[in-house]
Amino acid sequence: MFSYLFSFDSGILTYVSFLITNIAIYAMLGLGLNLQWGFTGLINFGVAGFVAVGAYGTVVLSMRGVPLPIAMMVGGLLAAIFGLGLGIATLRLREDYLAIVTIGAAELVRLVINNESLVDGKPGAIGINGFPLPLANFRPDIFTRYGMVLLLTGVFGLALWKLGDWGRRRLGSVRESKNKVWLTAVTGVGALVLVRADVVVTMAMLNFRDNQVVNGLLFCSVLMAALVFLLVETLVRSPWGRVLKAIREDEEVAKALGKNVFSYKLQSLMIGGFITGIAGAFYAWQQSNVYPDNFKSDLTFNVWILMVLGGAGSNPGVAIGAAIFWIYTTLTRDLSKLFPMIPTSQIDAFRMVFIGLLLIGLMVWRPQGLLGNRAELTLGK
Amino acid sequence: MSAILSATGLVKSFGGVQAVDRADLEVISGSITGLIGPNGAGKTTFFNLLSNFITPDDGIVQFKGDRIDKLQPHRIARKGMVRTFQVARALSRLSVLENLLLATQNQTGETFWKVWTQSKRIALEEKQARDRAMEILDSIGLIQKANDYAGGLSGGQRKLLEIGRAMMSKPELILLDEPAAGVNPTLINQICEYIQYWNRQGISFLIIEHNMDVIMGLCDRVWVLAEGRNLAVGTPEEIQTNDQVLEAYLGA
Ligand SMILES: Nc1ncnc2c1ncn2[C@@H]1O[C@H](COP(=O)(O)OP(=O)(O)O)[C@@H](O)[C@H]1O
Ligand SMILES: [Mg+2]
Repeated sequence: MFSYLFSFDSGILTYVSFLITNIAIYAMLGLGLNLQWGFTGLINFGVAGFVAVGAYGTVVLSMRGVPLPIAMMVGGLLAAIFGLGLGIATLRLREDYLAIVTIGAAELVRLVINNESLVDGKPGAIGINGFPLPLANFRPDIFTRYGMVLLLTGVFGLALWKLGDWGRRRLGSVRESKNKVWLTAVTGVGALVLVRADVVVTMAMLNFRDNQVVNGLLFCSVLMAALVFLLVETLVRSPWGRVLKAIREDEEVAKALGKNVFSYKLQSLMIGGFITGIAGAFYAWQQSNVYPDNFKSDLTFNVWILMVLGGAGSNPGVAIGAAIFWIYTTLTRDLSKLFPMIPTSQIDAFRMVFIGLLLIGLMVWRPQGLLGNRAELTLGK
Repeated sequence: MSAILSATGLVKSFGGVQAVDRADLEVISGSITGLIGPNGAGKTTFFNLLSNFITPDDGIVQFKGDRIDKLQPHRIARKGMVRTFQVARALSRLSVLENLLLATQNQTGETFWKVWTQSKRIALEEKQARDRAMEILDSIGLIQKANDYAGGLSGGQRKLLEIGRAMMSKPELILLDEPAAGVNPTLINQICEYIQYWNRQGISFLIIEHNMDVIMGLCDRVWVLAEGRNLAVGTPEEIQTNDQVLEAYLGA
């Protein structure tokens, strides 16, 4: 476990790079869903469908020679249009229709990609591979690499600064010394993780040419996750975001005050869908192949889990939720090495059970998620 | 003496219940008009029909001379007619201040791409809206609570918040559904004073209320509804001495 935090062994570094990429991608997925559910109150149980549309859109286009950034944007747009269709079909009906239809639509997407042959006449079920990956042939000179280090360090530095700021403000407001110790510990661990992440990405960028595929994706996904984060943070703090929150609280009030609730719900579904589609492109790139089976509903539930874990309605919370989810998954992956006498399948089952227990515990003791505001939940409606 | 709002022959039935049955109503521009009637008379339903939160089965609603009975609720609000709810609806997880800011009309920042293209203008509008919201909060005695969650307010404070929120949208006509219900007497007097103050600034009011002192003290004209039909209309004095009205209230 500690090797992940301190070791400079190249295998471990690569593994942590992979982990960071994963966290960045799932953070994007969580941020998209959070805009829809956390801020607007729209239940989207079809995250996997949005991811699939973004992933397949990007992959298929890029295989036909469309440059990757454009292919990715189109993938995102297709996912947004997917959201538009779902919204138009259901948003005028009762609330629960969206939830039901998103489940069905995601399944529909999976069946389509399973049965259509989208590339070279090969059957969809065998998946697609060999598509272009971002920065895979990039040969940055030393100055470019320093620039990349600087950019990523900027991202982690900003996160560290925000964390410190948050910790200091919270320390000023809590009284009990037990809480102070707890808060200091949490902030400390967070800072340690961020510093380690920065060290790892710095090493990765400096030695970019050692593993261009992994490092290129690492660079792009961290940067894109940061961009998406800034995008949604700016949006939810704007008057536009205020309307979304009002709809989440009570859409009748929003209507009575002149807000076009239907239009805002569509916008939320589409922008959230766009973000999910972009994340879908990264999801495909990271696996370097896409199979219909990668887009089953467990993907949807994992994104819901990490969002609820961090605190729906809080973007930093969702980012932290993604980190905890993947750190947990990674650490427990090694359990089978510690207990060789227990079959791996049982350990895997236990890992899922434990996450379930963790969530139940969270719902009992911190229903607002790790970063959510408890006061918000106890408010009478 | 022109009507800012007029409804003619409104009808609404829920299954077998004829909640509103060919009822009329008129609000004279600049007036405070009352709408009273026994419980279950159809007053709240009438409000819902006026604001098109419920679509009428039949009838015509005109606001400032235009038909609004086919207009979506948010468009009616944008035209300058804002309603409140009988059970006050606070946006719980928004601050009291945010509840008011939301009501501001024509906000540049409510169009998402302008959040980037016109950020300066949005910041300016937000500042102006904030100043105005603080003024309103000050006048309704909620300024201390500006940054608290609205969900933490008491029932009476929520009523005030709703009225303040409606004011914030700079309407020409406000529909209030039982603004004094569940509010303590001191606060009721305050609410009445604000209504009169805002009325002097040119805002018309249509008020449903059971508290007769409020109706008598505020209203220029009162419409009486019973079992979904018009029973009487007149000055508060006329209504108070109308035998039919007394009968309806006593449940004869
Ligand atoms: N959504 C509804 N569905 C069925 N019946 C309703 C509905 N809303 C109101 N009613 C009925 O219509 C009648 C008028 O109700 P309402 O307008 O709330 O009266 P008031 O506000 O004057 O007390 C009542 O008999 C009530 O039960
Ligand atoms: Mg009523």
